[in-house]
Amino acid sequence: MTSVENPSEVLVETVTTVNGRVVTANVPARLHVADFLRQHLGLTGTHLGCEQGACGMCTVIVDGEAVKSCLMLACQLDGRNVQTVESLAEGDELNPLQQAFKEEHALQCGFCSPGFLMTATALAHQGRRPGRDEIREEITGVLCRCTGYDNVVTAIERWFAENPQGASEDPLPAVTDTIATQG
Amino acid sequence: MTTLEDPATEVDAVGVHERRRVIGTSQLRKEDDRLLRGDGRFTDDVDPARVLYMAVARCPYPHARIVRVDASAAAALDGVEHVLTPADIRRDTEPLTVLRPVPGAPQLPYYALAQDVATHEGQPVVSVVASSRHVAEDALELLDISYEPLPHVVDVLAALEPDAPVLHPSVLDSNLLAANSDGSGDPDARFAEADVVVEGRFRINRVTALPMETRGVVAEWRPGARELTVHCSSQVPHLIRKQLAETLRLHESDVRAVASDVGGGFGLKLGVFPEDVLACLHAIALRRPVKWSEDRAEHFRGSTHARESVHDYRIAADSTGRILAMTNVYATDIGGWNSPFGSAQLSSVVFNGPYKISDGYTERRVTLTNKTPVGAYRGYGQPEVNFAYERLMDQLARRLELDPVELRARNMVTPRDMPWKNPVGAVYDSGDYERCLRMAADAVDWAGHRAAGRTPRPDGRLVGIGFASFVERTGYASSRFLAKRGSVFGAHESVTLRANRSGGIDVYTGVSTMGQSSETAFAQVVADVVGTDYDAVRVHAGDTGASPLNTGAFASRTMIAAAGALRSAAEQLAAKTRRIAAWQLEAPVDEMEVAGSVVRVRADHSRALPLAAVYTTAITGQGMPPEEEPGLEATAHFEPPDAAYSFGTAAAQVAVDPLTGEFDIERFVLVHDGGTVVNPTIVEGQVRGGLAQGFGAALTEELRYDPETGQLVNGSMVDYFVPTAADLPHVELLHTAVPSPVTPFGVRGVGEAGTIPPGAAVANAVCDALADHGVELSALPITPEAIWSALAGRSSGGGDPELTPTTTDLPDGGVEY
Repeated sequence: MTSVENPSEVLVETVTTVNGRVVTANVPARLHVADFLRQHLGLTGTHLGCEQGACGMCTVIVDGEAVKSCLMLACQLDGRNVQTVESLAEGDELNPLQQAFKEEHALQCGFCSPGFLMTATALAHQGRRPGRDEIREEITGVLCRCTGYDNVVTAIERWFAENPQGASEDPLPAVTDTIATQG
Repeated sequence: MTTLEDPATEVDAVGVHERRRVIGTSQLRKEDDRLLRGDGRFTDDVDPARVLYMAVARCPYPHARIVRVDASAAAALDGVEHVLTPADIRRDTEPLTVLRPVPGAPQLPYYALAQDVATHEGQPVVSVVASSRHVAEDALELLDISYEPLPHVVDVLAALEPDAPVLHPSVLDSNLLAANSDGSGDPDARFAEADVVVEGRFRINRVTALPMETRGVVAEWRPGARELTVHCSSQVPHLIRKQLAETLRLHESDVRAVASDVGGGFGLKLGVFPEDVLACLHAIALRRPVKWSEDRAEHFRGSTHARESVHDYRIAADSTGRILAMTNVYATDIGGWNSPFGSAQLSSVVFNGPYKISDGYTERRVTLTNKTPVGAYRGYGQPEVNFAYERLMDQLARRLELDPVELRARNMVTPRDMPWKNPVGAVYDSGDYERCLRMAADAVDWAGHRAAGRTPRPDGRLVGIGFASFVERTGYASSRFLAKRGSVFGAHESVTLRANRSGGIDVYTGVSTMGQSSETAFAQVVADVVGTDYDAVRVHAGDTGASPLNTGAFASRTMIAAAGALRSAAEQLAAKTRRIAAWQLEAPVDEMEVAGSVVRVRADHSRALPLAAVYTTAITGQGMPPEEEPGLEATAHFEPPDAAYSFGTAAAQVAVDPLTGEFDIERFVLVHDGGTVVNPTIVEGQVRGGLAQGFGAALTEELRYDPETGQLVNGSMVDYFVPTAADLPHVELLHTAVPSPVTPFGVRGVGEAGTIPPGAAVANAVCDALADHGVELSALPITPEAIWSALAGRSSGGGDPELTPTTTDLPDGGVEY
């Protein structure tokens, strides 16, 4: 095919830390974080549900705070620290939050689960121990069409009850190595 | 019984006593570890090398002639690899097919890209494939498509009027796609002799299933192998394979459809959509993988919607409250095209709900409008009619000054009546409907509420309690039933079990995993029947290249049909395992048992062989009994003899402000019977999840179209209000567990029950609270605004026309009845 150059495809060099690994990448200026994680780094646990910041499927943690990764550009990650659902499990074992979700049947299709897990993890980073009603309010940024939410709230409540030290944990994994990716 | 944790001995459908160990217990789910670790494999997670991305240009008008398509500028953009226009589709494909047709409906010329005329906003017109989704969308901006807007109609009743623009004049004279009526007895005579008749026109809102994962497809074509591999987010991969082969003029053997993890289906992902066909065509042309991931704006306009319908209901009764007859004449909106499962059919099948009526009829007018096609959605016609008949039951009780609980109890089908055939031929298998009603009434202290009277609280609010009793058809009556209605799938399920050398059993099923926990439940059944460990059973789901042909995951039918196939295959596999072990241990076959990871002599556990060794014997054929064939694998098929009917009663308590119409749902009790329970936690999860969708449709969700422009006005996650964690009332669940005589183990389907009663229960509670104000709600959703309007209408003496009994018949689309 004959080609006409596309002026929208501008690349930006970005250096960020994702799940403890330093990533150097040339990313398209209009690429959002969720697509960057999924398509460039293969971290497909972060899902997309609306690309409008409304459904919460794409929630990840950036510098300790829950962020809707469809509303942030990949090039804005430069110099920041990102944590995704893939960082939670401890080796081959679910971490206590994931285990609470499993035991409380807090997921059905599981498409929303990474959003809830990262929202709850970020909540713990704030150093509070929320009650049931507060958990309910805090997770309204993530939608679920399967469960009716009750078991999600129960799982998070149980995790806070059983892991009082969870809030004081180092919020971000240690940097281990570096990888490079091209736009 | 109010708890589901009861793995007791039961008698199953064929009278065989079984000691259950895993069935009936809350095993942790097989699906969870991968999903919690972000290691699910949803369609957009499939990422083949050299993949290209598709984007679709869609008609912005509700009804428009496509005058000209010029894609030359788009095709010339750097990174664009391929463009498909309507003419390509006409040349290379057949129209999309329907899986569950409307009886009597002609096939509409539904092509993957609009030909000549598009009939709804969002219908695909051109598709583009490029190096990234960004570039593909850039190319859409460069398309030059000329439209000639045509007159449109978005109101379902207006669409049936003689002056309405006709959507499909090449095959129809009006927008009536087809009309179906059914019934028995002499309802007209019963109405003539009745002491009292209640009637109303009930409007059901247009909603959408809104799975959190949108649709998606990844298609790959190997021309030399003639193999089209299609990863798709579907509840029915084997039916996708069939439909793609038909539409793309391929053999079924050329197509492999794979649906691994599906991020919610709820009926929306039943069958082939235009975009599936387009991605395949691009992949075939390019010999490269092509991916399409639907964005949410597309999803709101290009997938399917549900429920919208207008019901004229009538109930005739004598002065004691005994129902003499019931009728429902309704227009149901199918949108611009007939989607694979379009127009819910169960509004007719269970139009009488749990009530014993011998004289009745129902008539469905399936109506085309210039809106997104309507497809299946959890409940499939049952929430719609439940709202209407349960609202009328309360109106009947008020008219006769009877207790609405007693009125319901008096008219319910009783255990002694069953099996009982309703006026349209549905056979209710078993159950104690009244017990659920009484349990719900006790749970909300109905007697106390009746005694207290309608005294406002200090804040002025009035308290009301409302009930909704229902039945839910689960599974299909039979393949004969489906054949009569032209459906192109079976009522059965099929599974393959295969032993492996590690001592495990692999289960292969075409039922894809979409949240219904079928991997877990299937493993429970197999583990129990074989006698092996739950952990030793692994379920491989949703790949047509690996699983036996089946029907799929819908209609709450998976366990009903699959449990029988699983049991049969597991029995075959276990029997052969015992024969091989008996020969090797030189013991009688009937003294052998499988227990966990070994097969052993029942009376002497020291005489045992590891299952891994016995399975290896069979797989290698080395050391087999002389008369046995090698191999250890079983495929079984099972068609249940009839559908099973789940049932229950919901009770809602609300507090309503009679000045503003604002209300809170203070309590919501659901008493539900899903028959024998395979996994109590999963069943409860299914019921609660269904309720959440039921509350959404009853209270906050409504897709609205501007009648002037024909545009969807709230087609985004920001404007369409699905419930969040903070929006749902606390739900108290109670259960009974009456085994069904028509299913394996006595199970009933549980997937859809929760969607059925919320609308009616809440509306009845509001109307109970406002009974002194004369408010009778007859439309969904139930909003403070709607209640306020009803209050205002009554107090001014005017009356909202939507709330008054019907004075004119539904328009009939030009067809005489």
